[in-house]
Amino acid sequence: MDYKYIEQLLESYFACTTTLQEEQILRSFFSQEDVPGHLAQYADLFNYETGAQAEKLSEDFDERMMARIEATKPSVTKAHIVKLTTHHMAPFFKAAAVVAMALTIGRAAEHAIGEQEAEENSNVVAVDPYIKSSDVRQTIRVKDVSQAETKATNDSIISIATKDEIQ
Amino acid sequence: MDFKHDILPLKNIIFRTALRIVMNREEAEDIVQDTLIKLWEKRNELEKVENLEAFALTMARNLALDRKEKMDNQHVSFDDEEHDRPDEGQGGTDSHLMHLETSGFITDIINALPEKQRTIIQLRDIEGKSYKEIASVLSISESDVKVTLFRARNELREKILQKKSLFL
Repeated sequence: MDYKYIEQLLESYFACTTTLQEEQILRSFFSQEDVPGHLAQYADLFNYETGAQAEKLSEDFDERMMARIEATKPSVTKAHIVKLTTHHMAPFFKAAAVVAMALTIGRAAEHAIGEQEAEENSNVVAVDPYIKSSDVRQTIRVKDVSQAETKATNDSIISIATKDEIQ
Repeated sequence: MDFKHDILPLKNIIFRTALRIVMNREEAEDIVQDTLIKLWEKRNELEKVENLEAFALTMARNLALDRKEKMDNQHVSFDDEEHDRPDEGQGGTDSHLMHLETSGFITDIINALPEKQRTIIQLRDIEGKSYKEIASVLSISESDVKVTLFRARNELREKILQKKSLFL
């Protein structure tokens, strides 16, 4: 077998005039088992080059690397925390709104009843004004508070829904 | 820019290149981690980078040169420690093993070369990179790459022929 081509490639290799493809041909040639004696001295070099391509990081490198990458990521979880808080707080907001509305309307009702009492006191003489007015007062209170509750619940649902949208 | 898809696959070429400079596996792995983190932090600028691999290797080489300098200043000698010998114990087929018996010899010659020659041998003869890409990694001209590679390959040839004459 004629090794002229390989000998020429070797000369070109040491002159740095080989192409990447020709260098690959040399590595393939020297990876054979039966390299002729006068070329065998170069087998170590080219087989070293081939072997060194297989050098790799250990298997668990990715795990360690991903842990470091996760640690550098800006925390996206902040937004979630706020959202969770809103949901947790929702029943409280609702209850607070109901109480606030009940108090406001209750007070407004009391004020209205006060005026009514004054009117009744001046117009009706035969009927005991205290009994009547307290009955009326209670009726109005119960009615208004139940309305207030409904309204407050609706309002708080709307306001919570709006908050969620904003987020 | 996705870390696992675009950046992580560069790990092994960075590792081998860094290992050729610092000649210590642990240090080389640290350099890989630092390089990949830096790339990830710069991910928004990487779209403009023409050759991401060359960019990453330049970064890794600079980190490796810094570490090597620190190691040398601390008078820590890694000569007695593990030399990288990828051919020993891993990689390669059975037919390779026949030829690899004496390749600690080649490792020693390459590791004794100046860093620039070692890195260029690594990028050309082991990674199979073009002169253009190597020039980009080292920030030198293509003709500088060829001149340096010429010196490295001929040092290898000289040592191989010397060894042969010893056995004759």
